[in-house]
Amino acid sequence: MKIVVAYKWTSDPEEATVGADGVVNWSRARPGISTYDPVAIEVARGLAAATSAELIGVTVGAKGVGTPLAAKAALSRGLDRAVIVEDDSLKGAGQAELAAVVAAVVRRIGDVDLVITGDSSVDVAAKMVPTVLAGELGWPAVAEVTDVTGQPGALRVGRAVPGGAQVLEISGPAVLATSADATTPHVPGMKDLLAAGKKPVEHVDLAALDVPASSAVMTITGRARPARKERKHQLLDTSDPAEAAAELVKALREVGAL
Amino acid sequence: MRCDWVHGYWVHWQWVRCEKGFGMSVNAWIVVGDQPAIGNLITVARSLGGDGTIAAVVAGPRAVAETVAASGVDRVVWCGTPDGSPAEASAPAVAEAVAADPPRVVLGGRNPGDRVLLGAAAAALHAAVLTGARSVTVGADTVTVVNAVYGDISDETVEISGPVALLLDGGSVPAASGAGVPIEEVTATPYGVKVLETIPSEFEEVDLNAAQRVIGVGRGLKAKEDLSLIEALAAALKAEIACSRPVAEGLNWMGKDRYIGSSGARISPQLYLAVGISGQLQHMVGVTGAETIVAINSDPNAAVFAQTDYGLVGDLYELVAEITSVLK
Ligand SMILES: Cc1cc2nc3c(=O)[nH]c(=O)nc-3n(C[C@H](O)[C@H](O)[C@H](O)COP(=O)(O)OP(=O)(O)OC[C@H]3O[C@@H](n4cnc5c(N)ncnc54)[C@H](O)[C@@H]3O)c2cc1C
Ligand SMILES: Nc1ncnc2c1ncn2[C@@H]1O[C@H](COP(=O)(O)O)[C@@H](O)[C@H]1O
Repeated sequence: MKIVVAYKWTSDPEEATVGADGVVNWSRARPGISTYDPVAIEVARGLAAATSAELIGVTVGAKGVGTPLAAKAALSRGLDRAVIVEDDSLKGAGQAELAAVVAAVVRRIGDVDLVITGDSSVDVAAKMVPTVLAGELGWPAVAEVTDVTGQPGALRVGRAVPGGAQVLEISGPAVLATSADATTPHVPGMKDLLAAGKKPVEHVDLAALDVPASSAVMTITGRARPARKERKHQLLDTSDPAEAAAELVKALREVGAL
Repeated sequence: MRCDWVHGYWVHWQWVRCEKGFGMSVNAWIVVGDQPAIGNLITVARSLGGDGTIAAVVAGPRAVAETVAASGVDRVVWCGTPDGSPAEASAPAVAEAVAADPPRVVLGGRNPGDRVLLGAAAAALHAAVLTGARSVTVGADTVTVVNAVYGDISDETVEISGPVALLLDGGSVPAASGAGVPIEEVTATPYGVKVLETIPSEFEEVDLNAAQRVIGVGRGLKAKEDLSLIEALAAALKAEIACSRPVAEGLNWMGKDRYIGSSGARISPQLYLAVGISGQLQHMVGVTGAETIVAINSDPNAAVFAQTDYGLVGDLYELVAEITSVLK
């Protein structure tokens, strides 16, 4: 049995800067495993252990996503092996394109029973790669998954829905997007890092994959820094909290916020 | 025409009529899961202009299809309700319906179920997918989208030739507009997904968009019991209580519909008061439309102070109590 975890290697826009022309500068941002993907790996690891499944990490992206350091960071979280597509033509690729490439990797691995993903990627936070991926594979997708038990083929999936939670039973292969708080991922130790260095990593050429052509061509024709409301940036003196409170209330009344 | 459909931004619509006889008969599809919260999607679809129709495909209960049929769309396709299955199980029927009458644009809301249906439709069409649209303009050969990216730090203008799937804020349930259109029922083999159990949330549902004043609580609050302090301030301010993501997801002190930010609610109240919130990008993007922003934080270097009108550096326990008593 095989379980695939799709993870993204990317940077946090909190560490990026934006020029007046809207161009995003990532040079100070340090890439890593996308914030919520360790949650997905941890959930998948638990299920793989319970079902004696093989756990395969998959990531696709531009040059850099498959460096030994990046691969080790993912493998040290408990993957058995990794399959990586690293190609600069994927720089700036949209969610649909990325999902189509991940789907092609899943097909190539073969006999995959389940794909587990994170909730949203730290850079684009689209929450769409897992759903398009499922569409590409012809499998059901379920998002906001909080826990997974049972066997592939008869999975019990807990998930959050607006207004509550549900328990689902899924009888075939599926794509599950874990909720951000499904579990608390462990921090890999020295032993995990050493073991990760010995695990197999397969680099697959994008050209060798069967990726269906997109019907849509996207061209970026402009960029702009979004206009933000001007803020007053007024710091009130809080050395006397009661006075500060009175001053704030007065200011809020003046601007009509109260 | 002006219309404020996403992120509280004012958007100028350009009405571009498709030339007679151009391309396909369906202009836009709207995918709908088990809640008809698509008011905003209908507004956006209408704004696209063109000679085609607005069609909706509903994977939820019949009652949802009926609400959608009366909402002013031109056509409604209903996937039926496979016994005991969630809306996601009908993704094949949704994808088939959309692919059978290919549109220029497919629209879906941000609910988990709606996202799955949109993904299935996008895959069937091999469409481009965008999730931060501020405006959409349909031209003769291309669709142009101004798309907010990377936590809304930049707006990219994207020109797409071919179909495009847009994930948007679904909005409220549309009011009935007239007698409605007939419901066409389609069938397709659903996925093998069954609901075994539904557990209602312990938290009361809230519509943060309806509130004029909102207090956002962050991890600066030390214990759930301390929410009583915030509740007292909320009562004095006539404000609704919201929070940062970790307070709802992780700490579980509030329902998920109360957190604000890129993956939560985006609100534009008169007043937003951030209490014990550090002011990370993913949170603050949810309140850029607020008229006045106030922050209380004990760390003078907290990022939140760069994004506020009035900042109070200090202990929230002390300051919240003082503000409450001034208001009383
Ligand atoms: C893909 C992705 C999507 C995300 N989406 C969202 C989202 O939609 N919404 C969201 O909110 N977050 C989101 N996040 C998380 C976000 O990045 C931040 O981690 C989160 O907003 C931080 O919450 P916080 O400010 O409550 O906690 P912290 O960052 O821990 O801040 C707590 C603050 O409280 C202050 N404090 C402590 N004690 C006191 C005291 N006694 N008095 C006053 N101040 C005190 C501290 O100085 C600190 O600044 C997302 C993250 C990712 C990766
Ligand atoms: N380039 C990628 N390679 C592998 N998995 C990805 C990639 N991009 C996104 N994912 C997965 O899809 C999830 C949601 O991403 P997104 O749709 O970008 O918010 C992530 O948490 C990952 O698990």
